[in-house]
Amino acid sequence: MERVDAKTTGAVPVRRRSNALLDFLSGFQSIFAGMAVTFRNLVGREKITVQYPYERLPVSPRYRGLFYLPFDDEADRLKCVGCTLCAQACPTNVITMTKLGAGKHAGVSEFNMDLGRCMFCNLCIEACPFEAIYMGPAFELASFDRNASVFRIQDLAQGGAWAVEHNRRTIEAALAEEAARKSGRPEAGHAIEKVEK
Amino acid sequence: MQITTTEISSPGMTVNMGPQHPSTHGVLRLVVQLDGEVVVNCRPMIGYLHRGLEKMMEARRYVQNVPFTDRLDYLSSLNCNLAISQAIERIGGLEVPERAQYIRVLLCELNRLASHLVFLGTFATDVGATTVFLYAFRERELILDLLEAMTGARLTYNWIRPGGVAADLPEGFADRTRAFLKTFLPALNDNDRLLTRNRVFRARCEGIGVIPREMAIAYGASGPVARGSGLDFDIRKREPYDVYDRLEFDVPVFPEGDCMARYRVRIEEMRQSVRIIEQCLRDMPDGEVSTKLPKIFKPPAGEAYSRTESPRGELSFFMVSDGGQNPLRVHVRAPSFVHLSLLPELLKGVKVADVIAILGSLDTVLGEVDR
Amino acid sequence: MSVATTPMGVSKAYKAGQLLAGLAIVAIILILSIVVAHLPWGWAQPIVSFIGERPLLNAFVKAFIVANFVAVHVLFLIWWERKFAGWLQARLGPMHTGWKGLAQTVADAVKLLLKEDIVPAKADYPLFALAPYLAFIPTLMTFMVLPFSLTWVGCDYPLGALYALAVSTIAALGILAAGWGGNNKYALLGGMRAVAQLISYEIPMVVVVLTVVCMVNTMSLTQIVTRQEGLWNIVRYPILIPAFLIYLVCSMAEVNRAPFDLPEAESELVSGFHTEYSGMRFAFFFLAEFANNFFTAGFAVILFFGGWLGPVLPGPVWFTLKALIYITIMMWIRWTLPRLRIDQMMGFCWKLLVPASLAVLCVAALWAVSLP
Repeated sequence: MERVDAKTTGAVPVRRRSNALLDFLSGFQSIFAGMAVTFRNLVGREKITVQYPYERLPVSPRYRGLFYLPFDDEADRLKCVGCTLCAQACPTNVITMTKLGAGKHAGVSEFNMDLGRCMFCNLCIEACPFEAIYMGPAFELASFDRNASVFRIQDLAQGGAWAVEHNRRTIEAALAEEAARKSGRPEAGHAIEKVEK
Repeated sequence: MQITTTEISSPGMTVNMGPQHPSTHGVLRLVVQLDGEVVVNCRPMIGYLHRGLEKMMEARRYVQNVPFTDRLDYLSSLNCNLAISQAIERIGGLEVPERAQYIRVLLCELNRLASHLVFLGTFATDVGATTVFLYAFRERELILDLLEAMTGARLTYNWIRPGGVAADLPEGFADRTRAFLKTFLPALNDNDRLLTRNRVFRARCEGIGVIPREMAIAYGASGPVARGSGLDFDIRKREPYDVYDRLEFDVPVFPEGDCMARYRVRIEEMRQSVRIIEQCLRDMPDGEVSTKLPKIFKPPAGEAYSRTESPRGELSFFMVSDGGQNPLRVHVRAPSFVHLSLLPELLKGVKVADVIAILGSLDTVLGEVDR
Repeated sequence: MSVATTPMGVSKAYKAGQLLAGLAIVAIILILSIVVAHLPWGWAQPIVSFIGERPLLNAFVKAFIVANFVAVHVLFLIWWERKFAGWLQARLGPMHTGWKGLAQTVADAVKLLLKEDIVPAKADYPLFALAPYLAFIPTLMTFMVLPFSLTWVGCDYPLGALYALAVSTIAALGILAAGWGGNNKYALLGGMRAVAQLISYEIPMVVVVLTVVCMVNTMSLTQIVTRQEGLWNIVRYPILIPAFLIYLVCSMAEVNRAPFDLPEAESELVSGFHTEYSGMRFAFFFLAEFANNFFTAGFAVILFFGGWLGPVLPGPVWFTLKALIYITIMMWIRWTLPRLRIDQMMGFCWKLLVPASLAVLCVAALWAVSLP
């Protein structure tokens, strides 16, 4: 590293004209050195092409790909409670949702993400206090249909439409039970629907 | 060698190096007036990538603005995140824990490596050696894999936030990085051998696009453009931020001011970045990786100006707060924008083939020029 | 060795298998050529003499064969260029179309054929239409004197070397016509640069060829090769080593290869003389360039490396093999070096190559005179 002092004028550098023959020969030598590098890469180096789509590289565990809403198996519902913190955190208004119920047994009946607007910036994941939204490894989201960039709850939920249905039933059942308890009347013979998996 | 072109009496030709061009490094339009093979006048026209980022930032909260900075200088987005985070921290009086500072420096230097590798590849392609492009991007791919393991993204990371970083290093990151650094230096030496002493490359770069020292100072050049003209100016040494004052590294300065000097500055900077990364991995303490921001973050009214050394030069954010949740004004002082202003004077009297080489050696990114 | 590792990590056995497969294919082709050469071809003799007695038919048949060879060879050469470039750059090159990408050139040719034929509105149509042919036909004509073996030659012209050099220069006209005909500033600049480059680098090339002719006392290409029986020219007359190096550089300049590819460089201001061409017209320029590649390689092989001479394998196979090796070296240089600026290129030619070639000629002439 050459440090320079304040006297540098930055004028056009002096050409190396000391010995034209040496200059010429060193030029040749540099060219051969370069060719040696490419030769080493030709024979000594594994080719780095990954022939997509026949071969795919694995993504890291933290990869920020397509979102998914995790499903809580024990509670038989999606973890999302519809608090809209993620929608508020998003810089580009990607998330819209319709809340289902209120209070302790809240959830979402609709959860839309317009990925055409999404920057995949991770702010919504960090905003969620219930670990109810994650980014997964799916990155092949290209489509011929413009509307395919809008992902609805059944596209995002872990378990798809089945999970959405279970989510809805569990929440509505819980809400109904709570309403019944609050109003004081035991619902005769009206047991909570336990759906078999 | 001086070529004296006889004056063929033909009107000058105005040629448009349009916004779409293999070599303008983004959507830059250069309207060039030629006299035969020599450039008489050049007007850079920018704005093709203007997205109104500064205005958009006024309508969003502070933390929401950080992902936008990724899109400024998208080749070194962590540095942009750092710049805005510093501005926000200065306005809001936030402290950054020490581990977070080390992680920030680590990430920024990794990103510097990636950005300079892009420069290496594209500059070599501009002067005709396409093979180096592939080699450089191969190394860059390994860096991007590292950063993907850390942040989850490969180009726009959004990982350096006001108060620290978004999350801690993943398992095995230090070992992976060390393993990468071991393979990186020999690869860099290979690229050096392919280019730096190559007679043809030297003929294309030496003495081309000389920015005299006074001109560099007058136009506000910074980063490798300034250091390639003999200005010993690196913000990491002059106004150190994060833990740069504790790290040992040299700042390469070359006095010639031509394309070769700027190229060599960046190559040497890559070697210094490797040193910095090794030191960070070695010295990183345990601890918090971020100060917790309040849920509703309303910094006191005031102004802040943060200066950082991005791979392109001095990237600075000027932020004005009026006490609300959104900033009142954000202004980005982008180094590429300043360097583009050098072009008209720099390109006078230069041959057509050198226009590309000079533009490539300035290493502009139109994302931060146009915002 | 700075050998980087890949995340995929194919096994060593797989790599070895691939290499063996490639070598096996080459070996099979060579063995097949030997077998075919030794088959009884006597039954074809009447046909050959029938054609041979009729000069017009003879010329037509030979030209037909040569043109076909050029077309097929260009197909292979383009594939080889892309594969070799890929391997140099640590990647694979075409893999998808056909086995290992062999059908890639065919796919490209079909694509080019299907493209719309765009002629710029204000183009000089006669020149615009003529230019591809002006560039391609001279190259084809030079192939007529290129001997693949003692009998496999289009026309064994006694002044073959002179003819080849003279005719190959006409391609420069085609390039100039292309640059002018498109009514495009970029193309014009590119065309003028290309012509300047071509005719400048002709001079050291001609002088070098003259040197060889001096040493072997004949201009007929077949004679030049037959006189190398036993020892290649470049070994027999060591003065030809610098001559060969000069020829190497000139041939790279003649075919517009890096480091001399400024006229057709993509990343420069002008995209070259064939900017305005699309579809099949562009394909002709491409064809012409690669055909010229093979021609200069073949010419070098004849002048310096013993043409078709070699053990075991039949003559044409040796010739093609040597020419391919020469072309591979040209590709290797191409993908290593950056490109020269036009004034540097011209300076290199006039200030270095021309004096050097003249010096080589002088020394060779003295040598030739002093030989018994």
